[in-house]
Amino acid sequence: MERSARNARPGRPLTRRSVLGLGLGAAAAPLLSACAGLSTTSGAGKDGVGFLSTQFTPLDERQRFEQILKNTVTDINVGYNPVDVGVFGTTLTSQVNSGRVSVSLVGALHGELGQYTDLLSDLDDLVAELGDRGFPSHLLSLTTLGGKSSKYVPWMQASSVLAVHKKALGWLPAGADVRHLTYDQLLDWVSAGRAANGGKPIFGLPAGPKGLYHRFFQGYLLPSFTGGQITTFRNQDAVAAWEYMKRLWANTAPASTNYDYMQEPLARGEVLIAWDHVARLVKAPESSPDDWLMVPAPRGPKGQGYLLVAAGLAIPRGAPQPDRARAVIRALTTATAQAEVLRQNAFFPVIRDAIPADLPPAARLEADAISNQSEADGAVLSLPPGGLGKRDGEVSQIFKNCFTEICLDGKPVQEVLDAQAVQLNAILDQVKVPCWAPDPVEGTSCRVL
Amino acid sequence: MTPADTPAPHKPARAGRGRGARWRAVGVQLACLAVTAFMFAPVYLVALAALSTPESLNRFPLSLLPTDVSVETMASFLTMGGVLPAFVNSLIVGVGTLVLSVLIGLPAGYALARYVFAGRDAYQLFMLLTRALPIVVLSVPLAQLFLTTGLYDTTYAVILLHTALALPTTVLITSAVFVGVPRDQEEAAQIFGATPVQAFVRVVLPQALPGIAAAGLFTFVTSWNEVLGAAILTLDRRTLPAQVLSTLGASPLTYRFAGGFALIVPALVFVALMRKYLLSMWGTTLR
Repeated sequence: MERSARNARPGRPLTRRSVLGLGLGAAAAPLLSACAGLSTTSGAGKDGVGFLSTQFTPLDERQRFEQILKNTVTDINVGYNPVDVGVFGTTLTSQVNSGRVSVSLVGALHGELGQYTDLLSDLDDLVAELGDRGFPSHLLSLTTLGGKSSKYVPWMQASSVLAVHKKALGWLPAGADVRHLTYDQLLDWVSAGRAANGGKPIFGLPAGPKGLYHRFFQGYLLPSFTGGQITTFRNQDAVAAWEYMKRLWANTAPASTNYDYMQEPLARGEVLIAWDHVARLVKAPESSPDDWLMVPAPRGPKGQGYLLVAAGLAIPRGAPQPDRARAVIRALTTATAQAEVLRQNAFFPVIRDAIPADLPPAARLEADAISNQSEADGAVLSLPPGGLGKRDGEVSQIFKNCFTEICLDGKPVQEVLDAQAVQLNAILDQVKVPCWAPDPVEGTSCRVL
Repeated sequence: MTPADTPAPHKPARAGRGRGARWRAVGVQLACLAVTAFMFAPVYLVALAALSTPESLNRFPLSLLPTDVSVETMASFLTMGGVLPAFVNSLIVGVGTLVLSVLIGLPAGYALARYVFAGRDAYQLFMLLTRALPIVVLSVPLAQLFLTTGLYDTTYAVILLHTALALPTTVLITSAVFVGVPRDQEEAAQIFGATPVQAFVRVVLPQALPGIAAAGLFTFVTSWNEVLGAAILTLDRRTLPAQVLSTLGASPLTYRFAGGFALIVPALVFVALMRKYLLSMWGTTLR
């Protein structure tokens, strides 16, 4: 017994030290957190404008945009806070619902804003006031998000086009104009090019794991052949479109299933013609812009389908600084600010005459292709699936599945479309949202007919 | 190892056993080296890339030796708006979570180990439920709760959330450790006049320290790496992962390496500091 008592004694200094350490730790914690944390945005402060956005999340783009903000909005402190879509929705919803809004300005894609119509204030007066900016009417008609009044002000836009190396022009079929292609001419062109190139395909699609090839089906191929995206998903026109796709794929570089951004295979010379999002093409012509063309996507039997990626600026209901937020919107829709965003972050202006003359050649090529595309006769405007929230990816996956099964596995087209339509309807029946362009927007629940 | 190395009386036997032991020793050393290399290689590569010039990253093949040492990449990452404050916030949250979860979790773990009470097993099981519910499901109500209490966008909010996330593991690890400390010793201390608190602090705690250190290590690393909760509960006062981790994948290569390095180093330093307590757990204190 005595021994054990003595044995406990050597433990004593250790005990004292650990007690001391514990006490120190306990004292340090409140001390450390005495300040509730340091500000990580460029300091919105009390009078500043908190700007929550889903755009420019990559660090370099964010840094450049913060600089643009600093240069264009000199008298207001704007705290720019780019987040991913999920956090964007959570923050916006919880702040407006609890009535303690700290965000004064939000910026997001059209489809992302469409899920939060109820949380945004009406901006009819601001849109009217900014009438002299010359927003194109097809963009303005989107800003109501299916309601009566404008919920956002157009901010910037992007689209996808074809990038063409001039070497490929030699195989262009007779009578075809590269700036006014049809889908049949494109197929003839890439097959002729392949034959002349020793059997090596010259056309590429971004069908890699992170590629945007589903947008090619949603916004280009299907609208051009069927005039719709969802409602016409499995009709005769859609079958024709996918039969065409099968033939096009046979003349497409098989390595396309590894391509995420087409600018890299184009710059390396692996393919000579490619379709992709402009921001993912911009580096291809950079080193030798004279060798490159950027042309609108082809035209099909039902018109020239093109996908519009539009971003808008909105003010949440109950925003602490609505007037300053309006001032920021005014500043961001000026020609200088819009041109600066195009020059540095490759998003296109939404206002008239904002494209500067001294644009880098690569951006110039794209700017022309985009305006040609949206102003063409018979242009069929399409939007990415909207209002689907977290199911967005699942709907896009359906289009990817169709491609995999039809083009890669060679299954019969109608069978595949029927099976995928069932899955598509299962998702759409759960979310119950109105259709988006090019499908008719009327009605409350979009479905495959 | 040592007993086999001591000279044995029989010569032939000694040669045979000695050779076998030596081979085994070499094998153990080789295995240790392989495991170390396996763990160290990614850290080395990230550190190398973070401390090279941006141009050298585009060269092919990449040099595996530090030929282009430069702090340019790291400097441009660290001086970027928001990164240093976020770093400090992360430290505050990590240490705060560690202290709070030990303060709450230690008594709970002790009670689970020492006392038999009604519903003890169920309690132990239900504690894990906080980990079973994904934060995504709770995100909007959670943010709303913190908004109405005025804690939103403070490190306190994140500390509370991370403590809730870390508590189950803290409680379960510490209760397992307390079970390993013989009850008799505690009773003996009390017989010799120690109050229950004194007995706990002087007899139980020193023996349980390695386990508590392990729990603390786990808590700190959990908090250091947590993204979603921190991103939901803060806006202007982000932690480092919430500020950069979610967007690193889409950022230029140089930022990815610099960011990865900045996220690895503090965790490594913390592990190094805790190492001695962990080793004594595998050593003699508890078996």
